[in-house]
Amino acid sequence: MRKNRLPLLLAALAAACLFSLAAGPAGLAPDIVWHLRLPRTLAALAVGAGLGLAGALFQGALKNPLSDPYILGTSSGATAAAVLCFMAGIERTSPLFFAAVFAGAFGATFLSYWLARLAGRLSDAALVLAGVAVSAFLSALVMLVLSAGRERSFSLFYFVLGGLYPSEPGVLAASAGIIAVCAALAMLRWRALDAMALGEDSAYHLGVDPARERVLFFSLACAATSAAVALGGTIGFVGLMTPHIVRLLTGPSARALLPAAAVGGAALLAAADAAGRTLFSPAEIPAGVVMALAGAPFFMWLLWRGARGRA
Amino acid sequence: MPALRVSGLTFSYNGGPLLQDLSFELHPGDFMCVLGPNGSGKSTLLRLLTGYIKPAAGSVRLAGEEVSALKPGRLARLAAYVASETATPYDFSVREMVLLGRTARAGFWRGYSAADGAAADLALQETGIVRLAGRSVNTLSTGERQLAFIAQALAQEAKVLLLDEPTSHLDLKYKSDVMGLLRSLAGKGLAVAAVLHEPALAALGCNKALVLGAGRYAFGPASAMLSPANLAAAYGLPPDSPLLPKQ
Repeated sequence: MRKNRLPLLLAALAAACLFSLAAGPAGLAPDIVWHLRLPRTLAALAVGAGLGLAGALFQGALKNPLSDPYILGTSSGATAAAVLCFMAGIERTSPLFFAAVFAGAFGATFLSYWLARLAGRLSDAALVLAGVAVSAFLSALVMLVLSAGRERSFSLFYFVLGGLYPSEPGVLAASAGIIAVCAALAMLRWRALDAMALGEDSAYHLGVDPARERVLFFSLACAATSAAVALGGTIGFVGLMTPHIVRLLTGPSARALLPAAAVGGAALLAAADAAGRTLFSPAEIPAGVVMALAGAPFFMWLLWRGARGRA
Repeated sequence: MPALRVSGLTFSYNGGPLLQDLSFELHPGDFMCVLGPNGSGKSTLLRLLTGYIKPAAGSVRLAGEEVSALKPGRLARLAAYVASETATPYDFSVREMVLLGRTARAGFWRGYSAADGAAADLALQETGIVRLAGRSVNTLSTGERQLAFIAQALAQEAKVLLLDEPTSHLDLKYKSDVMGLLRSLAGKGLAVAAVLHEPALAALGCNKALVLGAGRYAFGPASAMLSPANLAAAYGLPPDSPLLPKQ
Protein backbone atom coordinates (compact mmCIF):
# COMPACT_ATOMS: atom_id res chain seq x y z
CA MET A 1 0.00 0.00 0.00
CA ARG A 2 1.15 3.49 -0.74
CA LYS A 3 1.90 5.86 2.08
CA ASN A 4 -0.66 8.42 3.06
CA ARG A 5 0.30 11.57 1.20
CA LEU A 6 -2.63 13.68 2.40
CA PRO A 7 -0.41 16.07 4.48
CA LEU A 8 1.59 16.93 1.35
CA LEU A 9 -1.59 17.70 -0.53
CA LEU A 10 -2.99 19.83 2.28
CA ALA A 11 0.29 21.76 2.46
CA ALA A 12 -0.01 22.51 -1.26
CA LEU A 13 -3.58 23.67 -0.67
CA ALA A 14 -2.52 25.97 2.18
CA ALA A 15 0.30 27.42 0.09
CA ALA A 16 -2.06 28.09 -2.83
CA CYS A 17 -4.55 29.81 -0.48
CA LEU A 18 -1.85 32.05 1.00
CA PHE A 19 -0.56 32.91 -2.48
CA SER A 20 -4.08 33.73 -3.63
CA LEU A 21 -4.84 35.89 -0.57
CA ALA A 22 -1.52 37.78 -0.74
CA ALA A 23 -1.10 38.21 -4.51
CA GLY A 24 -2.05 41.46 -6.14
CA PRO A 25 -0.92 45.06 -6.69
CA ALA A 26 -2.67 46.37 -3.54
CA GLY A 27 -0.36 44.50 -1.16
CA LEU A 28 -1.89 43.23 2.05
CA ALA A 29 -4.50 45.92 2.72
CA PRO A 30 -6.99 44.20 5.06
CA ASP A 31 -10.02 45.53 3.20
CA ILE A 32 -8.79 44.12 -0.10
CA VAL A 33 -7.82 40.78 1.41
CA TRP A 34 -11.08 40.38 3.26
CA HIS A 35 -13.61 41.73 0.76
CA LEU A 36 -12.06 40.96 -2.60
CA ARG A 37 -9.41 38.26 -2.37
CA LEU A 38 -11.09 35.99 0.16
CA PRO A 39 -14.35 35.54 -1.81
CA ARG A 40 -12.33 35.10 -4.95
CA THR A 41 -10.05 32.52 -3.33
CA LEU A 42 -13.08 30.63 -2.03
CA ALA A 43 -14.59 30.66 -5.53
CA ALA A 44 -11.31 29.33 -6.99
CA LEU A 45 -11.24 26.55 -4.39
CA ALA A 46 -14.85 25.52 -5.10
CA VAL A 47 -14.47 25.60 -8.89
CA GLY A 48 -11.13 23.77 -8.75
CA ALA A 49 -12.52 21.10 -6.42
CA GLY A 50 -15.56 20.57 -8.66
CA LEU A 51 -13.51 20.26 -11.83
CA GLY A 52 -10.86 18.02 -10.22
CA LEU A 53 -13.58 15.72 -8.90
CA ALA A 54 -15.35 15.64 -12.27
CA GLY A 55 -12.09 14.80 -14.02
CA ALA A 56 -11.38 11.89 -11.67
CA LEU A 57 -14.95 10.59 -12.15
CA PHE A 58 -14.79 10.77 -15.94
CA GLN A 59 -11.31 9.24 -16.16
CA GLY A 60 -12.44 6.32 -14.01
CA ALA A 61 -15.93 5.71 -15.38
CA LEU A 62 -14.70 5.84 -18.98
CA LYS A 63 -11.38 4.06 -18.35
CA ASN A 64 -9.91 6.92 -20.34
CA PRO A 65 -7.04 9.05 -18.99
CA LEU A 66 -7.65 11.69 -21.68
CA SER A 67 -11.14 12.60 -20.48
CA ASP A 68 -12.20 15.59 -18.44
CA PRO A 69 -15.22 17.92 -18.47
CA TYR A 70 -13.55 20.29 -20.92
CA ILE A 71 -12.55 17.66 -23.48
CA LEU A 72 -15.83 15.72 -23.32
CA GLY A 73 -17.90 18.84 -24.02
CA THR A 74 -19.46 18.89 -20.54
CA SER A 75 -18.16 22.39 -19.82
CA SER A 76 -19.24 23.66 -23.25
CA GLY A 77 -22.74 22.27 -22.70
CA ALA A 78 -22.94 23.95 -19.31
CA THR A 79 -21.56 27.24 -20.68
CA ALA A 80 -23.97 27.27 -23.63
CA ALA A 81 -26.91 26.68 -21.29
CA ALA A 82 -25.64 29.39 -18.92
CA VAL A 83 -25.27 31.95 -21.72
CA LEU A 84 -28.76 31.16 -23.02
CA CYS A 85 -30.07 31.63 -19.48
CA PHE A 86 -28.34 35.02 -19.12
CA MET A 87 -29.80 36.10 -22.46
CA ALA A 88 -33.27 34.98 -21.36
CA GLY A 89 -32.89 36.95 -18.14
CA ILE A 90 -32.53 33.93 -15.84
CA GLU A 91 -29.88 34.89 -13.30
CA ARG A 92 -27.44 32.71 -11.36
CA THR A 93 -29.44 33.02 -8.16
CA SER A 94 -32.36 31.09 -9.69
CA PRO A 95 -32.62 27.30 -9.20
CA LEU A 96 -33.85 27.18 -12.80
CA PHE A 97 -30.41 28.42 -13.85
CA PHE A 98 -28.68 25.43 -12.17
CA ALA A 99 -31.22 23.01 -13.62
CA ALA A 100 -30.66 24.38 -17.13
CA VAL A 101 -26.87 24.32 -16.80
CA PHE A 102 -26.96 20.72 -15.56
CA ALA A 103 -29.21 19.73 -18.47
CA GLY A 104 -26.75 21.34 -20.88
CA ALA A 105 -23.78 19.57 -19.30
CA PHE A 106 -25.51 16.19 -19.15
CA GLY A 107 -26.86 16.45 -22.71
CA ALA A 108 -23.48 17.40 -24.18
CA THR A 109 -21.66 14.62 -22.28
CA PHE A 110 -24.03 11.87 -23.37
CA LEU A 111 -24.01 13.21 -26.93
CA SER A 112 -20.19 12.86 -27.00
CA TYR A 113 -20.41 9.41 -25.43
CA TRP A 114 -23.11 8.27 -27.86
CA LEU A 115 -21.18 9.59 -30.87
CA ALA A 116 -18.01 7.80 -29.72
CA ARG A 117 -20.00 4.61 -29.17
CA LEU A 118 -21.46 4.65 -32.70
CA ALA A 119 -18.22 3.17 -33.99
CA GLY A 120 -18.82 0.10 -31.80
CA ARG A 121 -16.16 -0.50 -29.20
CA LEU A 122 -15.45 2.66 -27.19
CA SER A 123 -11.94 3.88 -27.96
CA ASP A 124 -10.04 6.68 -26.24
CA ALA A 125 -9.44 8.51 -29.50
CA ALA A 126 -13.08 8.28 -30.62
CA LEU A 127 -14.21 9.79 -27.34
CA VAL A 128 -11.81 12.72 -27.60
CA LEU A 129 -12.85 13.34 -31.23
CA ALA A 130 -16.54 13.24 -30.36
CA GLY A 131 -15.94 15.62 -27.45
CA VAL A 132 -14.04 18.04 -29.70
CA ALA A 133 -16.89 17.98 -32.24
CA VAL A 134 -19.58 18.61 -29.62
CA SER A 135 -17.49 21.33 -27.93
CA ALA A 136 -16.78 23.10 -31.20
CA PHE A 137 -20.45 23.20 -32.10
CA LEU A 138 -21.56 24.46 -28.69
CA SER A 139 -18.79 27.09 -28.61
CA ALA A 140 -19.90 28.32 -32.02
CA LEU A 141 -23.44 28.52 -30.67
CA VAL A 142 -22.23 30.62 -27.74
CA MET A 143 -20.28 32.94 -30.05
CA LEU A 144 -23.36 33.31 -32.25
CA VAL A 145 -25.47 34.32 -29.27
CA LEU A 146 -22.81 36.73 -28.04
CA SER A 147 -22.44 38.33 -31.46
CA ALA A 148 -26.19 38.76 -31.85
CA GLY A 149 -26.90 40.18 -28.41
CA ARG A 150 -24.60 43.15 -28.03
CA GLU A 151 -25.54 44.81 -24.76
CA ARG A 152 -24.45 42.06 -22.37
CA SER A 153 -21.79 40.54 -24.54
CA PHE A 154 -18.83 42.16 -22.86
CA SER A 155 -19.45 40.72 -19.39
CA LEU A 156 -20.50 37.36 -20.88
CA PHE A 157 -17.33 37.27 -22.92
CA TYR A 158 -15.34 37.11 -19.71
CA PHE A 159 -17.65 34.43 -18.37
CA VAL A 160 -16.99 32.33 -21.47
CA LEU A 161 -13.23 32.88 -21.20
CA GLY A 162 -13.38 31.50 -17.68
CA GLY A 163 -12.51 33.72 -14.80
CA LEU A 164 -13.25 34.08 -11.15
CA TYR A 165 -14.97 37.42 -10.89
CA PRO A 166 -17.03 38.66 -7.97
CA SER A 167 -20.35 36.88 -7.71
CA GLU A 168 -23.18 36.84 -5.18
CA PRO A 169 -22.32 34.96 -1.96
CA GLY A 170 -25.45 32.87 -2.55
CA VAL A 171 -24.06 31.53 -5.84
CA LEU A 172 -20.78 30.62 -4.17
CA ALA A 173 -22.58 28.82 -1.34
CA ALA A 174 -24.89 26.95 -3.73
CA SER A 175 -22.06 25.84 -6.01
CA ALA A 176 -19.83 24.79 -3.12
CA GLY A 177 -22.75 22.87 -1.59
CA ILE A 178 -23.51 21.00 -4.82
CA ILE A 179 -19.85 20.06 -5.26
CA ALA A 180 -19.60 18.82 -1.65
CA VAL A 181 -22.71 16.64 -2.09
CA CYS A 182 -21.35 15.23 -5.38
CA ALA A 183 -18.04 14.39 -3.69
CA ALA A 184 -19.80 12.64 -0.80
CA LEU A 185 -22.04 10.59 -3.12
CA ALA A 186 -19.09 9.65 -5.33
CA MET A 187 -17.13 8.46 -2.29
CA LEU A 188 -19.94 6.02 -1.46
CA ARG A 189 -19.29 4.28 -4.78
CA TRP A 190 -15.49 4.38 -4.90
CA ARG A 191 -15.18 0.63 -5.37
CA ALA A 192 -17.58 0.62 -8.32
CA LEU A 193 -15.52 3.42 -9.87
CA ASP A 194 -12.37 1.29 -9.52
CA ALA A 195 -14.16 -1.61 -11.21
CA MET A 196 -15.23 0.71 -14.06
CA ALA A 197 -11.57 1.76 -14.47
CA LEU A 198 -10.90 -1.80 -15.70
CA GLY A 199 -13.54 -1.40 -18.43
CA GLU A 200 -17.27 -2.09 -18.61
CA ASP A 201 -16.79 -5.76 -19.41
CA SER A 202 -14.63 -6.34 -16.32
CA ALA A 203 -16.89 -4.18 -14.15
CA TYR A 204 -19.88 -6.35 -15.06
CA HIS A 205 -18.05 -9.56 -14.23
CA LEU A 206 -16.86 -8.12 -10.91
CA GLY A 207 -20.48 -7.54 -9.95
CA VAL A 208 -21.15 -3.94 -10.97
CA ASP A 209 -23.89 -2.89 -13.41
CA PRO A 210 -21.90 -0.77 -15.89
CA ALA A 211 -24.88 0.99 -17.49
CA ARG A 212 -26.21 2.10 -14.11
CA GLU A 213 -22.81 3.21 -12.76
CA ARG A 214 -22.10 5.12 -15.95
CA VAL A 215 -25.28 7.19 -15.56
CA LEU A 216 -24.53 7.71 -11.86
CA PHE A 217 -20.92 8.82 -12.31
CA PHE A 218 -21.73 10.96 -15.36
CA SER A 219 -24.52 12.65 -13.37
CA LEU A 220 -22.24 13.42 -10.44
CA ALA A 221 -19.46 14.68 -12.73
CA CYS A 222 -21.94 16.82 -14.70
CA ALA A 223 -23.45 18.28 -11.53
CA ALA A 224 -20.01 19.16 -10.17
CA THR A 225 -19.01 20.67 -13.54
CA SER A 226 -22.26 22.66 -13.72
CA ALA A 227 -21.68 24.13 -10.27
CA ALA A 228 -18.12 25.02 -11.27
CA VAL A 229 -19.20 26.62 -14.56
CA ALA A 230 -21.96 28.64 -12.85
CA LEU A 231 -19.29 30.15 -10.63
CA GLY A 232 -16.29 30.46 -12.93
CA GLY A 233 -17.34 30.00 -16.56
CA THR A 234 -15.40 27.69 -18.87
CA ILE A 235 -12.12 26.75 -17.24
CA GLY A 236 -10.39 23.87 -18.95
CA PHE A 237 -7.72 21.33 -18.04
CA VAL A 238 -8.14 21.41 -14.23
CA GLY A 239 -10.16 18.20 -14.54
CA LEU A 240 -7.61 16.68 -16.91
CA MET A 241 -4.40 17.56 -15.07
CA THR A 242 -5.39 17.15 -11.44
CA PRO A 243 -6.12 13.37 -11.40
CA HIS A 244 -2.86 12.67 -13.25
CA ILE A 245 -0.86 14.69 -10.73
CA VAL A 246 -2.52 13.38 -7.57
CA ARG A 247 -2.39 9.76 -8.80
CA LEU A 248 1.38 10.03 -8.36
CA LEU A 249 0.71 10.60 -4.65
CA THR A 250 -2.31 8.40 -3.97
CA GLY A 251 -2.20 5.63 -6.56
CA PRO A 252 -5.14 4.95 -8.88
CA SER A 253 -7.75 3.71 -6.40
CA ALA A 254 -10.74 6.06 -6.23
CA ARG A 255 -10.92 5.80 -2.45
CA ALA A 256 -7.90 8.10 -2.10
CA LEU A 257 -8.01 9.58 -5.60
CA LEU A 258 -11.46 11.23 -5.38
CA PRO A 259 -10.81 13.36 -2.27
CA ALA A 260 -7.25 14.06 -3.43
CA ALA A 261 -8.50 15.21 -6.85
CA ALA A 262 -10.93 17.63 -5.19
CA VAL A 263 -8.23 19.04 -2.88
CA GLY A 264 -5.63 19.10 -5.66
CA GLY A 265 -7.99 20.80 -8.12
CA ALA A 266 -8.79 23.46 -5.53
CA ALA A 267 -5.08 24.13 -4.92
CA LEU A 268 -4.26 24.13 -8.64
CA LEU A 269 -6.93 26.63 -9.60
CA ALA A 270 -6.32 28.94 -6.63
CA ALA A 271 -2.65 29.05 -7.63
CA ALA A 272 -3.48 29.55 -11.32
CA ASP A 273 -5.85 32.41 -10.53
CA ALA A 274 -3.31 34.10 -8.26
CA ALA A 275 -0.66 33.68 -10.97
CA GLY A 276 -3.01 35.33 -13.47
CA ARG A 277 -3.31 38.33 -11.15
CA THR A 278 0.43 38.74 -10.61
CA LEU A 279 2.23 37.69 -13.81
CA PHE A 280 1.29 40.74 -15.90
CA SER A 281 0.20 43.02 -13.08
CA PRO A 282 -1.58 45.41 -13.19
CA ALA A 283 -3.18 43.63 -16.16
CA GLU A 284 -5.10 40.53 -15.14
CA ILE A 285 -5.10 37.22 -17.00
CA PRO A 286 -8.33 35.19 -16.57
CA ALA A 287 -7.79 31.89 -14.73
CA GLY A 288 -9.19 30.02 -17.75
CA VAL A 289 -6.40 31.42 -19.92
CA VAL A 290 -3.71 30.53 -17.37
CA MET A 291 -5.05 26.98 -17.14
CA ALA A 292 -5.14 26.61 -20.93
CA LEU A 293 -1.55 27.86 -21.18
CA ALA A 294 -0.45 25.20 -18.69
CA GLY A 295 -2.96 22.49 -19.57
CA ALA A 296 -2.74 22.32 -23.35
CA PRO A 297 0.98 21.35 -23.30
CA PHE A 298 0.10 18.81 -20.58
CA PHE A 299 -2.55 17.32 -22.88
CA MET A 300 0.00 17.15 -25.71
CA TRP A 301 2.37 15.34 -23.36
CA LEU A 302 -0.40 12.80 -22.49
CA LEU A 303 -1.04 12.16 -26.18
CA TRP A 304 2.67 11.73 -26.83
CA ARG A 305 3.04 9.35 -23.89
CA GLY A 306 -0.05 7.40 -25.03
CA ALA A 307 1.35 7.07 -28.55
CA ARG A 308 4.66 5.84 -27.15
CA GLY A 309 2.86 3.37 -24.88
CA ARG A 310 1.13 1.76 -27.87
CA ALA A 311 4.25 1.65 -30.03
CA MET B 1 -27.26 -30.05 -8.46
CA PRO B 2 -24.89 -29.22 -11.31
CA ALA B 3 -22.73 -26.12 -10.85
CA LEU B 4 -23.59 -25.06 -14.37
CA ARG B 5 -26.43 -26.31 -16.54
CA VAL B 6 -26.87 -25.11 -20.11
CA SER B 7 -29.93 -26.20 -22.06
CA GLY B 8 -31.07 -25.39 -25.57
CA LEU B 9 -28.73 -22.39 -25.81
CA THR B 10 -29.02 -20.68 -29.19
CA PHE B 11 -27.25 -17.55 -30.37
CA SER B 12 -27.10 -15.94 -33.81
CA TYR B 13 -24.50 -13.53 -35.08
CA ASN B 14 -24.80 -11.46 -38.26
CA GLY B 15 -27.92 -13.40 -39.24
CA GLY B 16 -26.34 -16.86 -39.10
CA PRO B 17 -26.63 -19.26 -36.18
CA LEU B 18 -23.41 -19.39 -34.17
CA LEU B 19 -24.54 -21.69 -31.39
CA GLN B 20 -27.56 -23.89 -31.86
CA ASP B 21 -29.46 -25.84 -29.23
CA LEU B 22 -26.38 -26.28 -27.06
CA SER B 23 -26.81 -28.31 -23.86
CA PHE B 24 -24.30 -29.54 -21.29
CA GLU B 25 -23.70 -29.71 -17.56
CA LEU B 26 -20.66 -29.09 -15.38
CA HIS B 27 -20.34 -30.43 -11.86
CA PRO B 28 -18.00 -29.39 -9.05
CA GLY B 29 -14.57 -30.81 -9.86
CA ASP B 30 -15.07 -30.75 -13.62
CA PHE B 31 -12.43 -29.08 -15.79
CA MET B 32 -13.83 -28.54 -19.27
CA CYS B 33 -11.94 -27.23 -22.27
CA VAL B 34 -13.85 -25.43 -25.02
CA LEU B 35 -12.25 -26.07 -28.41
CA GLY B 36 -13.06 -25.18 -31.98
CA PRO B 37 -11.83 -23.15 -34.92
CA ASN B 38 -11.73 -19.34 -34.87
CA GLY B 39 -15.18 -17.83 -35.09
CA SER B 40 -16.92 -20.97 -33.85
CA GLY B 41 -18.34 -19.06 -30.87
CA LYS B 42 -16.02 -20.12 -28.02
CA SER B 43 -15.61 -16.67 -26.48
CA THR B 44 -19.24 -15.83 -27.21
CA LEU B 45 -20.28 -18.93 -25.27
CA LEU B 46 -18.44 -17.76 -22.13
CA ARG B 47 -20.13 -14.38 -22.30
CA LEU B 48 -23.50 -16.07 -22.71
CA LEU B 49 -22.75 -18.14 -19.62
CA THR B 50 -22.21 -15.00 -17.52
CA GLY B 51 -25.23 -13.20 -18.99
CA TYR B 52 -23.07 -10.41 -20.42
CA ILE B 53 -24.76 -11.07 -23.74
CA LYS B 54 -28.27 -12.52 -24.07
CA PRO B 55 -29.06 -15.72 -25.99
CA ALA B 56 -31.80 -15.89 -28.62
CA ALA B 57 -33.17 -18.96 -26.84
CA GLY B 58 -32.30 -21.42 -24.13
CA SER B 59 -31.29 -21.19 -20.51
CA VAL B 60 -28.14 -21.02 -18.39
CA ARG B 61 -28.35 -21.95 -14.73
CA LEU B 62 -25.62 -21.38 -12.14
CA ALA B 63 -26.19 -23.46 -9.00
CA GLY B 64 -29.82 -23.69 -10.10
CA GLU B 65 -30.29 -19.93 -10.58
CA GLU B 66 -31.32 -18.66 -14.01
CA VAL B 67 -28.57 -16.31 -15.21
CA SER B 68 -30.84 -13.99 -17.20
CA ALA B 69 -32.69 -13.11 -13.97
CA LEU B 70 -29.56 -12.37 -11.92
CA LYS B 71 -28.15 -8.97 -11.04
CA PRO B 72 -24.39 -8.54 -11.73
CA GLY B 73 -23.65 -8.56 -7.98
CA ARG B 74 -25.24 -11.98 -7.48
CA LEU B 75 -23.73 -13.29 -10.66
CA ALA B 76 -20.21 -12.34 -9.60
CA ARG B 77 -20.67 -14.46 -6.46
CA LEU B 78 -21.69 -17.51 -8.52
CA ALA B 79 -19.30 -17.32 -11.46
CA ALA B 80 -15.97 -15.60 -12.04
CA TYR B 81 -14.77 -14.74 -15.52
CA VAL B 82 -11.21 -14.13 -16.71
CA ALA B 83 -11.09 -12.24 -20.01
CA SER B 84 -8.43 -13.09 -22.58
CA GLU B 85 -6.97 -9.66 -22.02
CA THR B 86 -7.78 -6.95 -19.48
CA ALA B 87 -5.99 -3.67 -19.92
CA THR B 88 -6.23 -0.57 -17.77
CA PRO B 89 -4.28 2.66 -18.20
CA TYR B 90 -3.99 3.02 -14.42
CA ASP B 91 -1.22 1.51 -12.30
CA PHE B 92 -3.21 -0.58 -9.84
CA SER B 93 -0.98 -2.79 -7.72
CA VAL B 94 -1.48 -6.54 -8.05
CA ARG B 95 -3.01 -6.70 -4.58
CA GLU B 96 -5.40 -3.83 -5.34
CA MET B 97 -6.36 -5.65 -8.53
CA VAL B 98 -7.01 -8.90 -6.68
CA LEU B 99 -9.00 -7.03 -4.00
CA LEU B 100 -11.28 -5.73 -6.77
CA GLY B 101 -12.42 -9.34 -7.04
CA ARG B 102 -14.17 -8.65 -3.71
CA THR B 103 -16.38 -5.93 -5.26
CA ALA B 104 -19.50 -8.06 -5.08
CA ARG B 105 -18.73 -9.36 -1.58
CA ALA B 106 -17.70 -6.21 0.30
CA GLY B 107 -20.34 -3.87 1.69
CA PHE B 108 -20.70 -1.07 -0.80
CA TRP B 109 -20.05 1.89 1.48
CA ARG B 110 -17.17 0.49 3.53
CA GLY B 111 -13.57 -0.27 2.82
CA TYR B 112 -12.41 -3.85 2.47
CA SER B 113 -12.85 -5.98 5.57
CA ALA B 114 -10.28 -8.32 7.11
CA ALA B 115 -12.09 -11.20 5.37
CA ASP B 116 -11.66 -9.45 2.01
CA GLY B 117 -7.95 -9.01 2.69
CA ALA B 118 -7.62 -12.66 3.70
CA ALA B 119 -9.40 -13.84 0.54
CA ALA B 120 -7.09 -11.70 -1.58
CA ASP B 121 -3.99 -13.02 0.17
CA LEU B 122 -5.19 -16.61 -0.25
CA ALA B 123 -5.78 -16.01 -3.96
CA LEU B 124 -2.26 -14.57 -4.28
CA GLN B 125 -0.88 -17.69 -2.58
CA GLU B 126 -2.89 -20.14 -4.68
CA THR B 127 -1.65 -18.52 -7.87
CA GLY B 128 1.91 -18.24 -6.53
CA ILE B 129 2.27 -14.49 -7.00
CA VAL B 130 2.60 -13.24 -3.41
CA ARG B 131 5.96 -11.73 -4.37
CA LEU B 132 4.24 -9.56 -7.00
CA ALA B 133 1.63 -8.11 -4.62
CA GLY B 134 3.07 -4.59 -4.57
CA ARG B 135 3.94 -4.35 -8.27
CA SER B 136 1.86 -2.35 -10.75
CA VAL B 137 -0.12 -4.70 -13.03
CA ASN B 138 1.17 -2.72 -15.98
CA THR B 139 4.78 -3.74 -15.26
CA LEU B 140 4.08 -7.51 -15.26
CA SER B 141 4.97 -10.00 -17.96
CA THR B 142 2.07 -11.53 -19.89
CA GLY B 143 2.21 -14.69 -17.81
CA GLU B 144 2.37 -12.89 -14.45
CA ARG B 145 -0.49 -10.71 -15.58
CA GLN B 146 -2.61 -13.73 -16.44
CA LEU B 147 -1.98 -15.16 -12.98
CA ALA B 148 -2.96 -11.83 -11.39
CA PHE B 149 -6.33 -11.84 -13.14
CA ILE B 150 -6.89 -15.49 -12.23
CA ALA B 151 -6.16 -14.47 -8.62
CA GLN B 152 -8.73 -11.68 -8.94
CA ALA B 153 -11.30 -14.24 -10.12
CA LEU B 154 -10.42 -16.58 -7.23
CA ALA B 155 -10.95 -13.75 -4.72
CA GLN B 156 -14.58 -13.68 -5.87
CA GLU B 157 -14.99 -17.10 -4.19
CA ALA B 158 -17.36 -18.23 -6.94
CA LYS B 159 -17.88 -21.95 -7.54
CA VAL B 160 -17.68 -21.64 -11.32
CA LEU B 161 -14.56 -20.30 -13.02
CA LEU B 162 -14.72 -19.33 -16.72
CA LEU B 163 -11.56 -18.40 -18.61
CA ASP B 164 -11.19 -17.07 -22.14
CA GLU B 165 -7.92 -18.31 -23.64
CA PRO B 166 -5.97 -18.21 -20.36
CA THR B 167 -2.88 -19.62 -22.07
CA SER B 168 -2.66 -17.49 -25.20
CA HIS B 169 0.51 -15.39 -25.53
CA LEU B 170 2.17 -17.43 -22.76
CA ASP B 171 5.40 -19.38 -23.13
CA LEU B 172 5.33 -23.16 -22.70
CA LYS B 173 6.31 -23.08 -19.02
CA TYR B 174 3.52 -20.64 -18.15
CA LYS B 175 1.04 -22.62 -20.27
CA SER B 176 1.87 -25.69 -18.26
CA ASP B 177 1.73 -23.77 -14.96
CA VAL B 178 -1.66 -22.21 -15.72
CA MET B 179 -3.12 -25.58 -16.78
CA GLY B 180 -1.72 -27.15 -13.60
CA LEU B 181 -3.26 -24.37 -11.50
CA LEU B 182 -6.68 -24.81 -13.15
CA ARG B 183 -6.51 -28.58 -12.67
CA SER B 184 -5.74 -28.15 -8.97
CA LEU B 185 -8.59 -25.64 -8.59
CA ALA B 186 -10.98 -28.17 -10.12
CA GLY B 187 -9.53 -30.65 -7.64
CA LYS B 188 -10.61 -28.31 -4.84
CA GLY B 189 -14.21 -28.49 -6.04
CA LEU B 190 -14.54 -25.64 -8.51
CA ALA B 191 -16.17 -26.20 -11.88
CA VAL B 192 -13.72 -24.79 -14.43
CA ALA B 193 -14.34 -24.06 -18.12
CA ALA B 194 -11.51 -22.70 -20.27
CA VAL B 195 -11.48 -21.74 -23.92
CA LEU B 196 -8.25 -23.17 -25.35
CA HIS B 197 -6.59 -22.42 -28.63
CA GLU B 198 -4.46 -25.54 -28.74
CA PRO B 199 -6.10 -28.96 -28.35
CA ALA B 200 -2.83 -30.42 -27.09
CA LEU B 201 -3.16 -28.39 -23.87
CA ALA B 202 -6.45 -30.13 -23.06
CA ALA B 203 -4.46 -33.24 -22.22
CA LEU B 204 -3.05 -31.37 -19.19
CA GLY B 205 -5.93 -32.17 -16.89
CA CYS B 206 -9.26 -31.58 -18.64
CA ASN B 207 -11.84 -34.27 -17.93
CA LYS B 208 -14.57 -32.81 -20.16
CA ALA B 209 -14.43 -31.24 -23.58
CA LEU B 210 -16.83 -29.15 -25.63
CA VAL B 211 -15.96 -28.93 -29.32
CA LEU B 212 -17.71 -26.21 -31.33
CA GLY B 213 -17.82 -25.75 -35.09
CA ALA B 214 -20.18 -24.72 -37.88
CA GLY B 215 -23.22 -24.34 -35.63
CA ARG B 216 -22.80 -27.90 -34.31
CA TYR B 217 -21.23 -29.06 -31.10
CA ALA B 218 -20.03 -32.18 -29.33
CA PHE B 219 -19.70 -32.54 -25.58
CA GLY B 220 -18.35 -35.44 -23.57
CA PRO B 221 -15.46 -36.91 -21.59
CA ALA B 222 -12.18 -35.39 -22.73
CA SER B 223 -10.64 -38.78 -23.51
CA ALA B 224 -13.31 -39.57 -26.10
CA MET B 225 -13.73 -36.07 -27.47
CA LEU B 226 -10.05 -35.39 -28.05
CA SER B 227 -9.40 -38.29 -30.39
CA PRO B 228 -7.37 -37.24 -33.45
CA ALA B 229 -10.25 -38.17 -35.75
CA ASN B 230 -12.68 -35.97 -33.84
CA LEU B 231 -10.36 -32.99 -33.69
CA ALA B 232 -9.30 -33.36 -37.32
CA ALA B 233 -12.94 -33.15 -38.35
CA ALA B 234 -13.61 -30.14 -36.07
CA TYR B 235 -10.63 -28.11 -37.28
CA GLY B 236 -10.70 -29.31 -40.90
CA LEU B 237 -7.25 -30.92 -40.69
CA PRO B 238 -5.97 -34.24 -42.07
CA PRO B 239 -6.18 -36.91 -39.30
CA ASP B 240 -2.40 -37.37 -39.33
CA SER B 241 -1.62 -33.65 -38.91
CA PRO B 242 1.30 -33.10 -36.52
CA LEU B 243 -0.68 -30.24 -34.93
CA LEU B 244 -3.10 -32.70 -33.34
CA PRO B 245 -2.34 -34.41 -30.02
CA LYS B 246 -1.24 -38.05 -30.21
CA GLN B 247 -3.10 -40.64 -28.22
